[in-house]
Amino acid sequence: MAAFLEVENVHKAYFLNGKRIDVLRGVSVTIEKGELVSLIGASGSGKSTFLHVVGTLDAPAAGSLRFQGTSVFDLSDAEVAAFRNRTIGFVFQSHYLLPEFTALENVAMPALISRLDKKSSLNRARELLERVGLSHRAEHRPGELSGGESQRVALARALMLKPDLLLADEPTGNLDPATGEGIHALLREVNKDLGITAVVVTHNVELARSLPRQLRLTDGQVVSAA
Amino acid sequence: MSAPQARLQWTGALIASVGAAAIIIGGIRAGLGEALAADLASLLVGWAQLLPPLVGAGAVGTTLGLFAKPLGATPGEGLWLLGPGVVAWTVGWALLAKALQGDQKPVRPPSAAVGAPLYSKLAKAKDFYWDALAAYGFGVLLAEVGFVLVYVALVAPGAGKPNAAGGLSPVWAFSVAFSAAVVVAFIGGFLGAASSKRLATPEATAALLYFGLPIPVLLSAMHSVPALMTSLGYRLKEVVYLSSLLGENRPELGYWLVFAALALALFLGINFGFVANSSGKFDLRTSYEAFVSARHVSVFRPRLLLGVFSVLILGIVPPLIAFAIVSAAEAAADRTRIRKLGLKDPLLAAEALNELKLKQQTPTAMMTALSVGGVGVGVMALIIVLSVMSGFEADLQKKILGTNAHGVVMKYSLDMPEYADVMEKIGQVRGVAGQTPFILNEVMVSSEGNISGSMIKGIDPATVGSVTDLPSYMLPGGSLDGLEDPTKIHVKRLSPPPAPKEDVPGVVPDIERDPMIDTATPEEDEDAKAAAAMPGIVLGRELASSLKVVVGDRLNVVSPLGGELGPQGPMPKSRPFRVAGIFYSGMYEYDSKFVYIHLKEAQRFFGVKGASGVEIKVADVDDARAIMRRIYDSLDGWPYRTKDWGEMNRNLFAALRLEKLVMGIILSIIIIVAAGLIVATVIMLVLEKRKEIAVLKALGVPDGGIVKIFLGEGLQIGIAGGVLGLVAGLAWCFFIEKVGIKLDPQVYYIPSLPVRIEPVQTVLAVVIAVLITFLASIYPALKAAQVEPVDGLKSE
Repeated sequence: MAAFLEVENVHKAYFLNGKRIDVLRGVSVTIEKGELVSLIGASGSGKSTFLHVVGTLDAPAAGSLRFQGTSVFDLSDAEVAAFRNRTIGFVFQSHYLLPEFTALENVAMPALISRLDKKSSLNRARELLERVGLSHRAEHRPGELSGGESQRVALARALMLKPDLLLADEPTGNLDPATGEGIHALLREVNKDLGITAVVVTHNVELARSLPRQLRLTDGQVVSAA
Repeated sequence: MSAPQARLQWTGALIASVGAAAIIIGGIRAGLGEALAADLASLLVGWAQLLPPLVGAGAVGTTLGLFAKPLGATPGEGLWLLGPGVVAWTVGWALLAKALQGDQKPVRPPSAAVGAPLYSKLAKAKDFYWDALAAYGFGVLLAEVGFVLVYVALVAPGAGKPNAAGGLSPVWAFSVAFSAAVVVAFIGGFLGAASSKRLATPEATAALLYFGLPIPVLLSAMHSVPALMTSLGYRLKEVVYLSSLLGENRPELGYWLVFAALALALFLGINFGFVANSSGKFDLRTSYEAFVSARHVSVFRPRLLLGVFSVLILGIVPPLIAFAIVSAAEAAADRTRIRKLGLKDPLLAAEALNELKLKQQTPTAMMTALSVGGVGVGVMALIIVLSVMSGFEADLQKKILGTNAHGVVMKYSLDMPEYADVMEKIGQVRGVAGQTPFILNEVMVSSEGNISGSMIKGIDPATVGSVTDLPSYMLPGGSLDGLEDPTKIHVKRLSPPPAPKEDVPGVVPDIERDPMIDTATPEEDEDAKAAAAMPGIVLGRELASSLKVVVGDRLNVVSPLGGELGPQGPMPKSRPFRVAGIFYSGMYEYDSKFVYIHLKEAQRFFGVKGASGVEIKVADVDDARAIMRRIYDSLDGWPYRTKDWGEMNRNLFAALRLEKLVMGIILSIIIIVAAGLIVATVIMLVLEKRKEIAVLKALGVPDGGIVKIFLGEGLQIGIAGGVLGLVAGLAWCFFIEKVGIKLDPQVYYIPSLPVRIEPVQTVLAVVIAVLITFLASIYPALKAAQVEPVDGLKSE
């Protein structure tokens, strides 16, 4: 059986004032289903770029990405969009909630995008909000939520369509340790209870150590940090 | 770049330029230049309809001087240049393409990525999307050929001539052929964009240039090159006829108008194909897209709509003052409240302050309101002005048709002695509501006070009322009866009660007599008798006042025709008439120009047998042309001829139409400005929402979905503005109609501004405005779709 997620020989460079910065130099890594992986590395080492490439948000120059045997880069734009919608859940450093919509609507948005029934989507979104402990904030807009609350809403949104893969980019980077620990606990819970594979990019060494598998990005290569 | 490649590139560019120059020079020398350039220029500027009057004024051809034929050139002279020109053009581009293909940037030291499998998008990149070119090219070519073939197949042969038979009328055939062609062009664009999954602008340009242009160019060339006309023209005569209808007697313009429409259809097809298919499958659903775009612009807020509407109705200043007062009051109330809360609990005050801050508008919200207002103003102005102009036109038409007949039957000779028979035949034609014989001539009318050139019309007082409103235009004190029986003419007396002697019936004293003396002498009696024999005449109010005559006064009518031959040639003929009445039609030209006498008097005066024609009134004014045609047929044509009111006043109505068109164009510019505002607003939205676009993409919205969201935003602004403009415009029209805007009677010949709301025209104004705003938001929407998720997420 094909591996759950296979990243192979991914190259990516940025160009700054005519100078090329090689960020990813042939990154290859395999992640199995149900794993909870931490990715650490120095600032600017390309952790976020790696996560974006894996999440199909960014195009590499070369390399391949296979998800359960399917070569994701060979899909059409629309198929990739549907893949992101159904299979991947994102949690970013900053919450990136849509400011015009209430917390409830934000959580339900992935379901609306895949054109599921609005009513049942909102019901599921309400359950999810309850699960992250924010049912009393359902009708508030992101501007009225605190950082921790926003991040929990973002996590609920990422879980809306029960994705196979959860990609978290420094989800606790902007939060104080106590609130961050809450988010970590939720991540672990999600991984354990729902069996969702998760990759967490973090600066927090303690958190990284607490996760079952640890990866480190150095010199454009991913190595095991264990 | 290596030197040989650079040389190749320059050579290619040079050859292509030489080719282009050869094509242009050849075209001009062949006599194609003038027409083509003028048509293209006017078409590109979009004011094609303005060209005929300009050309009529000799403005385009002569003042520009650019397109004037070289001296001694004969038509078709430069044709031989076209072939080599096209070849050089193509070869030049081919060389350029080759040079570019060989063009390589110097290679840097190899990176680690050499040898790794290329990212699939990079691997699949193509130089040129031949299938897109094929779809676009065949789409536009097929549309053009199909249009011509379908039109020729459908239309009745010889349409436009009286005895056209079989097939559809040009209008219907055009509608069918044109819709088919538009659909074909749209499908071509759709398929091309769908197959290449991009807009493929180079391919579209090439397709229009090489597949779209030849047919219209050929058709236009037909009119300048006799050889083409003889070989092609008669086969396509129906198409030529249609195009001359479309282009206001300039067939070339007609071809280019159709071509432009087809190119627009292709362009729309490309955009729709790209939007619908960049999402992989044909997907026009808009569930979440509408939801998101409605939240983004939130146009349909009562506050915004009410504000824009009141600006449209009341102008800018009063709502601004009202707004200032209301917001000042609000602010004062808020301050008091917050201060009170602050005294009670500081936190409550802070919360209230925060709420106030949240209520403040973003710049985009302001822009949205401005855009809605802009579209609204455009639509409103368009509706009001077009309605007022329609009102003027209707008013003019009413007045012209009141004083004039709906149609006339004339004969190709000076008189029509058999007019009674003719009238009998006319009476049997369906749709004829009334008829009266007439004699029309030009004369001088002189009174004691003045002299004036006039149109004199001999009428039959018994039947004239069945055709024109002349009897109802008579001012009190006079009537048409005086024409039949001059003794009925009421003579105004300035004197005290007349001497009994003068009260002899039928004997009316001459006004020239001094009323102060008021003594009748036997000679005056003689005068009175002569006066009684004087026939009556009716004239317009303006003419009467310039001649300084009133009812009962005497006039001399002088005609250069019909007099006897004197020693020095024909002598003018003069005859006295007595004013039997004065009319007021409301048309200055009639009131100052026309005099009416009895038909019998006119026959005698001008030596005409019978009448010079018969005036007709029809039951349905708009059907006048067809009814006049039937009359023509019932009279077996020659030597009779017929004209309807449109033909009789062709210049006037053509001028009105042109004026309306120009106003329409000028006002459309307002809408185009508003469209620019919409482009700016939606671009602002795109910039403001970069982060949201990135998030939406991360959540799985395909590019097509993003395009739909932002198209929806432009469309909402357009619809809101269009509807507000419609309501405000109609409200203004009703106001003008009911309350009225008084016009200075010294200047205008109508008491107040006339208004006539034409539903089709009004709806068209709104639809065009919405369409323009929709088209305007295509570009920013495509820009929005191009926002890369990573860029949006990084921007924080």
